[in-house]
Amino acid sequence: MPQSTAPGGVAPATANREMEPVTGAQPYISVNNIQKTYFPSPPWMKALVRTNIKEPVVAIENVSFEAGPGEIIAIVGPNGAGKTTTFRILVGLTTPTSGEARIMGLDSTLDSTRVRSTVGWMPGDDRSLLMRLSCKENLLFHGRMQGMDSKQMKQRVPEVLEQVGLGHAANKTIFALSAGMRARIQLARAIFHSPKVLILDEPTGAVDPVASHGLLNLIIDIVKENQLAALISSHRLEEIEALHSRVLLLDRGKVRYDGDLDSLREILDRPCIEFDFANPERALHARTLVETQFPKSTVSVVEETTVRCILSSGRTAGDVLTQLTPVLADVEHLREVQRPLRDLLAEIYLGADTEGAA
Amino acid sequence: MTATQTRSGAREATTLPSTRTTIAAFWRMDFIEEISYPLSFALTLLRTAVPIVMFFFIGRVVGRQASVGGDYLTFTTIGLAITALMTGGMSALGGGLSRAFQRGNLETLLVEPVPWTFLPIAMNLWKTFLAVVNFTVLILLGAVLGANFIPSATPQLLIIAFLGLTSAMAIGVLSAAVLMLTLKSQPVLVVYTLVASIIGGSVFPVTVLPGWLQSLSYLIPHTYAINGARTVFTEDPGAFTISFTEAVLALGGFTIVVLPLGIWLFRRSLEFARRMGLLSGY
Repeated sequence: MPQSTAPGGVAPATANREMEPVTGAQPYISVNNIQKTYFPSPPWMKALVRTNIKEPVVAIENVSFEAGPGEIIAIVGPNGAGKTTTFRILVGLTTPTSGEARIMGLDSTLDSTRVRSTVGWMPGDDRSLLMRLSCKENLLFHGRMQGMDSKQMKQRVPEVLEQVGLGHAANKTIFALSAGMRARIQLARAIFHSPKVLILDEPTGAVDPVASHGLLNLIIDIVKENQLAALISSHRLEEIEALHSRVLLLDRGKVRYDGDLDSLREILDRPCIEFDFANPERALHARTLVETQFPKSTVSVVEETTVRCILSSGRTAGDVLTQLTPVLADVEHLREVQRPLRDLLAEIYLGADTEGAA
Repeated sequence: MTATQTRSGAREATTLPSTRTTIAAFWRMDFIEEISYPLSFALTLLRTAVPIVMFFFIGRVVGRQASVGGDYLTFTTIGLAITALMTGGMSALGGGLSRAFQRGNLETLLVEPVPWTFLPIAMNLWKTFLAVVNFTVLILLGAVLGANFIPSATPQLLIIAFLGLTSAMAIGVLSAAVLMLTLKSQPVLVVYTLVASIIGGSVFPVTVLPGWLQSLSYLIPHTYAINGARTVFTEDPGAFTISFTEAVLALGGFTIVVLPLGIWLFRRSLEFARRMGLLSGY
């Protein structure tokens, strides 16, 4: 059992080595080779409730990562990639089949009660809020359950509500709030007890793009200011880019990439040129010319008159222009573009080679 | 539960909540939710009180009967009040869990740093309190309508009522342990309630049952609570009596055995559901 650490020299009252967080420069979040397999219900249970699992399903496999203070990791992946299962293991809502997950040095399986007091968790579903209670009462309930005293809570409620931009809505009942405001109150609840670790499961899932931009900036500020470690899952690729953080790409339970987006682009990105033609016929002609000469490049007509060429390695813009001589007079605009993030991710998820998917 | 300390003695962020704080949190949450629906709250009380009025008139039709101690209103008031109290205690936790499953906020409760073993108790409290209010209203209403109680025996009645409630809560926790796996139905509670409504002696004396059903009635706490309460709180409890001592021993013994067993099973069910990934399912 590796000795792990909670910064600040935190040690529990009990002297149980298995549970004891120790001092040192250890990560806030440490996930070591975890695997989670969901098994079919045992036969005796089938009479109680039916499930759809007929054979063991491996939800995550050999997932490992660490996160330290001030670090945000964006967990990205299609549905069923294992994002939520990873989060649920970290907060103790389910157990890994093998491997271990630690928060502030505490084992999330063996010491889940204390782990839950060090984590701020924001589930993807706003139904987790107590709908008939006001914003303030939601925070107070959470504060009491976290062992905060009245004085602390009295001070924190206005402070946190102000921080998430809901200072004016303290006494509003949750069901009367918009989706954006509900997301903010969920974030307020997650940070209310001053946790060291934030786990945010699709925090902007139900929020409009403008509000989600604001929410994301707020999360970044909170993480940096308080030197928290944060895991954020999201389907919105523009948000992942905006985070400028480390990215963990999960696919069918496995880590496909762990690093920053710039490095990912360096690995996968290839020159991409777009031509705007005067009419659709010339665009189609141009596409045929390039495809014939450079079969390994990806050429597509992205709009009626726009042709996009993603060049295979070793090819340059000049090579393409040479091939387009017959239609060059019809080119109205020419530009080099950055490949959309979704294309890069699709390339990883589809297992395409570097010549592939656009 | 105590606050943990850093090695330098500073208070650590991972302070766990005290029992008192957790109870206060659940109590306040349930109270606010309850008063959010005032009409529903009032109708619930009314619905429980109406049968007393109904049995008041049935009592006039059937006249005096020796098997029910002569006065049918007194007989049924005790039976209905104790049954309402025990039903409230039994269904409180299961109801709370079902609501949390359906609303999707069970996980929110489970990710709070409260020992899961304590959850059944905390989630029980408000509804149990309402059951006590209900019980009190029914007894008072019966008295107003002319039931013949012995006011000086109120302490004994309360002791039996309390033990009846704890034994009902024990059954409720057992039922909730199964609910964690079935996610919806509470087979233990349904079966028990059906059986208890027939053989508990709520609105008719156990003596009218066939012999084998009478024997079976000795196995359920309802029989001891209802008939024990009648014996101590009415002038004439009728043909079937359970002494105060018998009631206390039976109900106390039942609680001592079944409540820890229920809490242990509940904990095991939660752990099993956690391992199987069932906690967020419905």
